[in-house]
Amino acid sequence: MGNTISTDLIRGNTDTIILNILRQGDNYGYGIYKEIIKLSDNQYELKEATLYTAYRRLEQEGYIISYWGDETQGGRRKYYRITELGNERFEQNKKDWDFAKVILEKLIKGGINNGK
Amino acid sequence: MANRKNTVDEKVEKYINDLFADVGPSQQLFDLKEELTTNIKEKVADYQSRGMEEEQAIKEAVISMGDLRGLVDDMRNIGQDTAKQAVYTSMTERVSIAGIIAGVLLILFGIFTVAMLFLMDIPRVSAAGSGIFIVAGTALITYSLLTKETSKKYAMNKIRAALYALAIGLIMFGIFSGITSGYATGEAYIAVAATMVFVLAGVGLFLFLILTGSNRYKNI
Repeated sequence: MGNTISTDLIRGNTDTIILNILRQGDNYGYGIYKEIIKLSDNQYELKEATLYTAYRRLEQEGYIISYWGDETQGGRRKYYRITELGNERFEQNKKDWDFAKVILEKLIKGGINNGK
Repeated sequence: MANRKNTVDEKVEKYINDLFADVGPSQQLFDLKEELTTNIKEKVADYQSRGMEEEQAIKEAVISMGDLRGLVDDMRNIGQDTAKQAVYTSMTERVSIAGIIAGVLLILFGIFTVAMLFLMDIPRVSAAGSGIFIVAGTALITYSLLTKETSKKYAMNKIRAALYALAIGLIMFGIFSGITSGYATGEAYIAVAATMVFVLAGVGLFLFLILTGSNRYKNI
């Protein structure tokens, strides 16, 4: 994991990343964490501290709900499920991202032609 | 193997307990601790299955959690809110207990004074005058009992409790003024008239309150 993504950049997208995983099935804290590593082809790890804060926020805002799973060897897992509101939020965030990435690409790499 | 499993469990639980050691209790804290503990244990097991030693696995798992201070602060705020609520409840509790005691003492004081003055050789109207303490004491007890939260009922809201106290006070005051004015004038019809005004107002208010009351029973 040589390259990093700045905290500011990732913070704006944490919610969308979590919603993307949950819209493909219910999952629990550590499961979502592993899924994120896998999705990045083992190139990026989102700290669990960030994730737990995000779960709490997403639940308060009604985008996800939580429920306790059955007892395993280690204890009960707390699972998360996306709500209808969460799905709508995800679709909107995806659109926003599609727009943002095009613009940012232009702004960061674009050359200025002064008509010379 | 079972033994080693236990030491991992204990160490992870100790780490989580220490992390939230100075945080006030709440349902959210209880849930978050269980969630974190389960997930860290699973992570430790994953690290161990990749050949990491137990000590190392626990250390790595904890480090990879990242900075949990934000979560701890979150939980501390929630814990403080519940602590505040507990303080608030015990304050109103104390106030209403003080009210009940003061009310009982007022009534007793009124009864004793009236009895004492009756036995002294003075006009009866002066003796009955001390009955006002009984009126005040009854109103105070009414208010205090209604604002006290019990295991089965929530406390009544203060304005409503004060209105109940007023209703009871009016009825008692009606009886009181009937007795005093009766003694003062020696005419029974004046006594009835004086009683009527206050008792009617008091009963009217009391009925209104009874008929508009909401259910204060706790659903347990």
